[in-house]
Amino acid sequence: MRANKRERNTPVLAAEGIVAGYLPGVDVLRGCSIEVGPGELVGVIGPNGAGKSTLAKAVFGLLRVRAGTVRLNGEDVTGRPAHELVRRGVGYVPQLQNVFASLTVEENLRMGVYLRPRDYARRAAAVEELFPVLAARRRQKAGSMSGGERQMLAMARALMTEPQLLLLDEPSAGLSPLHQDHVFDRVREINGAGVAVLMVEQNARRCLQICHRGYVLDQGRNAYTGRGTDLLHDEKVIACYLGTLARAR
Amino acid sequence: MRCQRVFTAALALGLVMLPAVTARARGEDAPRGPVGPAFGGRALQALVDGIQFGVIIAITAVGLSLVFGTIHLINFAHGEFVTVGATFAFFLNASPAGPGWHLIPAAVAAVALGALLGAAVDRGVWRPLRARGTGLINLFIVTIGLSLLLRHIVLVLYGTRPGSYAQYDIQSAIGLGPVGITPRDLTVTVLAVLVLLGVAVLLQRTRTGTAVRAVSANRDLAEASGIDVRRVVLFVWMLGGGLAALGGVFFGLVETVTWDMGFKLLLMMFAGIILGGLGSAYGAMAGSLVIGVVAQMSTLWFPVDLQYAWALLVLIVVLLVRPQGILGRAERVG
Repeated sequence: MRANKRERNTPVLAAEGIVAGYLPGVDVLRGCSIEVGPGELVGVIGPNGAGKSTLAKAVFGLLRVRAGTVRLNGEDVTGRPAHELVRRGVGYVPQLQNVFASLTVEENLRMGVYLRPRDYARRAAAVEELFPVLAARRRQKAGSMSGGERQMLAMARALMTEPQLLLLDEPSAGLSPLHQDHVFDRVREINGAGVAVLMVEQNARRCLQICHRGYVLDQGRNAYTGRGTDLLHDEKVIACYLGTLARAR
Repeated sequence: MRCQRVFTAALALGLVMLPAVTARARGEDAPRGPVGPAFGGRALQALVDGIQFGVIIAITAVGLSLVFGTIHLINFAHGEFVTVGATFAFFLNASPAGPGWHLIPAAVAAVALGALLGAAVDRGVWRPLRARGTGLINLFIVTIGLSLLLRHIVLVLYGTRPGSYAQYDIQSAIGLGPVGITPRDLTVTVLAVLVLLGVAVLLQRTRTGTAVRAVSANRDLAEASGIDVRRVVLFVWMLGGGLAALGGVFFGLVETVTWDMGFKLLLMMFAGIILGGLGSAYGAMAGSLVIGVVAQMSTLWFPVDLQYAWALLVLIVVLLVRPQGILGRAERVG
């Protein structure tokens, strides 16, 4: 009973003091920390170059962590390759090139259950219920789909493994307002089904509206942290990042 | 734009034709043109020879294309995998210093060596260099160095004398209407086609094959889907090395085994994979077949020495019309 309680309290993801970057000697993240609890929807916002996408990549093992630790359900997974994190229940949707363009929709979904191919039929039925547009396009090459459809397919692929944590890197980037709404609605649905979500997002206002908690990054460091709705109305966040337009709304 | 294309094609044609014209001026013999009743038969014979040459190029080129597709590396040393396969089979089969094996087990051993060589260069050279973030141009230069190293190791061990395998060396041709083909060449062609079909089935129908295509399409996304990309890349190197070695044995069987045979074939491999569409295994097969057929068919009208040049001219012309290659796909942006 006590063990179960501890499990419930252990964050799904806890990244502490992360230092990472692409070029030798140039750190993009400079001691960034983040935490996602079970079933939580957490947003990460910040100006261009703040390190939002870099944080997602570092947490997911696509970028080497130079200092700091990444824990998954309390277990240290720092430096583990991405495919191992997928095995441990993490799904990731990159910002760009988020589908296998030369593969069909069905093959993309099959790649999602690469580690458990027998689950394909069951999981495909589940994700097609969430994204009905995919069912009619199984034979279509992913590269020929529109940006919005590709985003749906990308999220569906990541959900095929039934992840307990989903990392979304700017899911609304490049989409029309209507498609953005659709994406945010789906994110809320996914989270409502019990999947913890860490969403890095450029559309800060929409992101904070649906997030339980939010982090504001600035120059690779945590600038502000708080509940999504609180950050939305925080004078400092408005002044430094959201802009006066947000106050007017 | 149209004028530019026509000018480039005309320039390429001129460059290719120049040696033929000068040869004629010197009074040298050139193949007879499309005259006389025997031309149809000669054309069919050239087509059959071209298909045979094309499928051998295809076997060797598939690995080169898959390596490019998965790690975007243009492996200049791929020709040496061909040479190593052919010369190792020669050592086991026909060299006085070798054990004198029959060609079939010798070919199997050569394929195994090719696969091991592929694995060794991936684990020993490319993986460490990639892990250190070495740029693609630098890696390309390293492949040239590796090519020189391997070629000269073969030169030292094998020597410069052309060699033939102990079996299936001299055979009389079977007449199939106007076309004549030796049982050896027929077997090599059929085997090569079967191997290519096997590769296609592997890529299209198996989990590993789909993983290879996924890594080719998007490496990071493949990793994010739970695929161990490093293992897939290792598999591709082994497959490419094994196929190149097999192609080397086939090429050595229908021609002769020489220390630089792979290097000579390399340009045809590049032409095949570019013509078919860079990074596509099926494109490499289709492109190589076209290159092989064009090279052989050109001998109907032009000197044999120019057959490779004609193949490269076709490459230029096709790319002017279809820049992504025969099977390369133009991708939607936005």
